[in-house]
Amino acid sequence: MYYCYLRNNYENLMYIYLPIAEQPIHSLAILGVGAFLGLIMGLVGVGGGFLLTPIMMFLGIPPPVAVASVANQLVAPSVSGVLSHWKRSNVDFKMGTVLLLGGIIGSSIGVLIFNFLGKIGQLDLVIKSSYVIFLTLIGSLMFAESLRLILRTRKGKISRGKLHQHNWLHGLPFKMRFRKSKLYISILLPVLIGVIVGILAALMGIGGGFIIVPAMIYLLGMPTSLVVGTSLFQIIFVAANTTILQASQNQTVDIVLATILLLGSVIGVQIGSRYTNILKGEYLRLILSSIIILVSLKLLIDLITVPSDLFSIIISR
Amino acid sequence: MKFYFYIKVVFLLLILNSNSYAQNQIVADLSQENVKISTDFQGAKILLFGAYDGKKGDDIIVIVTGPKGLVTVQKKEKILGVWVNTKKVNYINTPKYLSISSNRKIEDILNQKTQKISEIGLNNLKIRVQPGIRVINEQQWRQALTRNMLKSNLWSINENSVTLNKDALFRSFLKLPSNVITGQFEVKILHYRNSKLVSQQINSINVSKSGISAEIYNIAQNYSTLYGIFAVFLAVLVGWGSNLIFRKV
Repeated sequence: MYYCYLRNNYENLMYIYLPIAEQPIHSLAILGVGAFLGLIMGLVGVGGGFLLTPIMMFLGIPPPVAVASVANQLVAPSVSGVLSHWKRSNVDFKMGTVLLLGGIIGSSIGVLIFNFLGKIGQLDLVIKSSYVIFLTLIGSLMFAESLRLILRTRKGKISRGKLHQHNWLHGLPFKMRFRKSKLYISILLPVLIGVIVGILAALMGIGGGFIIVPAMIYLLGMPTSLVVGTSLFQIIFVAANTTILQASQNQTVDIVLATILLLGSVIGVQIGSRYTNILKGEYLRLILSSIIILVSLKLLIDLITVPSDLFSIIISR
Repeated sequence: MKFYFYIKVVFLLLILNSNSYAQNQIVADLSQENVKISTDFQGAKILLFGAYDGKKGDDIIVIVTGPKGLVTVQKKEKILGVWVNTKKVNYINTPKYLSISSNRKIEDILNQKTQKISEIGLNNLKIRVQPGIRVINEQQWRQALTRNMLKSNLWSINENSVTLNKDALFRSFLKLPSNVITGQFEVKILHYRNSKLVSQQINSINVSKSGISAEIYNIAQNYSTLYGIFAVFLAVLVGWGSNLIFRKV
């Protein structure tokens, strides 16, 4: 970004100085990135945060600021998404509340870990390597799953089984009835899922949709129609908790960056959620999973290739 | 702004020609003494100009030094196939901005020894490793510091960037990059004749955050929890608002 000041004035107008990241950035580029990821989020129900944070890092935003600001921006499309899902009665608020209890505990732990890693100077490394691990995992799982679905529908076989599988997880104590989801399960499981997602949310600047959605379907056995709305509901609170804690503990929330991103993403998510039933989900997921795999590859290459300079500097403010 | 600038130039010329102007003097001024980092900040280009009592073959060196403080150099090592920051060296008293400008190559103006004595040149700065730390092969760490500061545009050597005119006037553009650190910057103008310092003047530039950008930064630092709550509130508002708007469309 250092060469910016040499450019002419018309081009300069597009640049905006980020007060916390302490650097100028192209506002339209950020708006576009926000809109694109909002669209994905509206369409698939996942994919907002976990692509957004790496892209911000590629654009040169310091990883700690990227993580915290993306958590902040996630609140907006989640609120917007929940409202539209609520209208179609696709939110299980009871399940969402149990999940978010775990989520708030988890995100608080996550911010503490974040703070500690920052102090020992390994935050960037942990953020980047957790992204490599999770993006590779989720990307390849999603890729395989959608490919399998596409091939199966091509063959024309549609199998219908039970509502969900029963396993040992359903035998845990503290059972609670979730009428909306037609479930009678122990609350320990959703709380635990919430905690794990919360930690990741704080560390990686994600809502955790990509973990919570499969977990709700495969571990809890929730109906697919309720999953997206309910996960968005809990993401609001996890992201909000993360934002407040990141701001107070680490001062890494860039409100200007978050605002530009969220303006783009709310537009994207609205358009996206309108077409969920029109576009074929599995094709969309196939494309999305390919993007995810590419992003994780880029991050991995950055971590394992010999740096052009083994030395780097930190200038204390 | 431009009007005042011309007034200053005329004023400087008057000083130069007046009888009160003593021998071997140098006067200089800046087109901008206060640099404000606001939301549209992308670096600053400041004109330094002035007059000196020169003879043919005289040289001008301009040294701009920013606030000094701690700069950490870290080194990466390969651990389990991944490059990880493992070692670090803290340098204290390090200028976080430094630019050395001159009308021709510095080595042609001053010999190595004089450069060292006058602390001119990137290797002649009085930067120290934080006391209490033993550093093996200090040379490579110091080189890494210089290399990275140059790469980030915070340090620069600009030979041939001072323009001299009729051995009486000089001007130079000082560039502050967008990642510049706030604080007081010292602008030292040195006038050399046959490698000897004839006269010098010191001006200063103040770089500060201003406007919304500064407000946001201050609030984020001083009222951090409130700032976080406000950030969430804003996001909820936008999310809810967009839903209202899109429902009607």
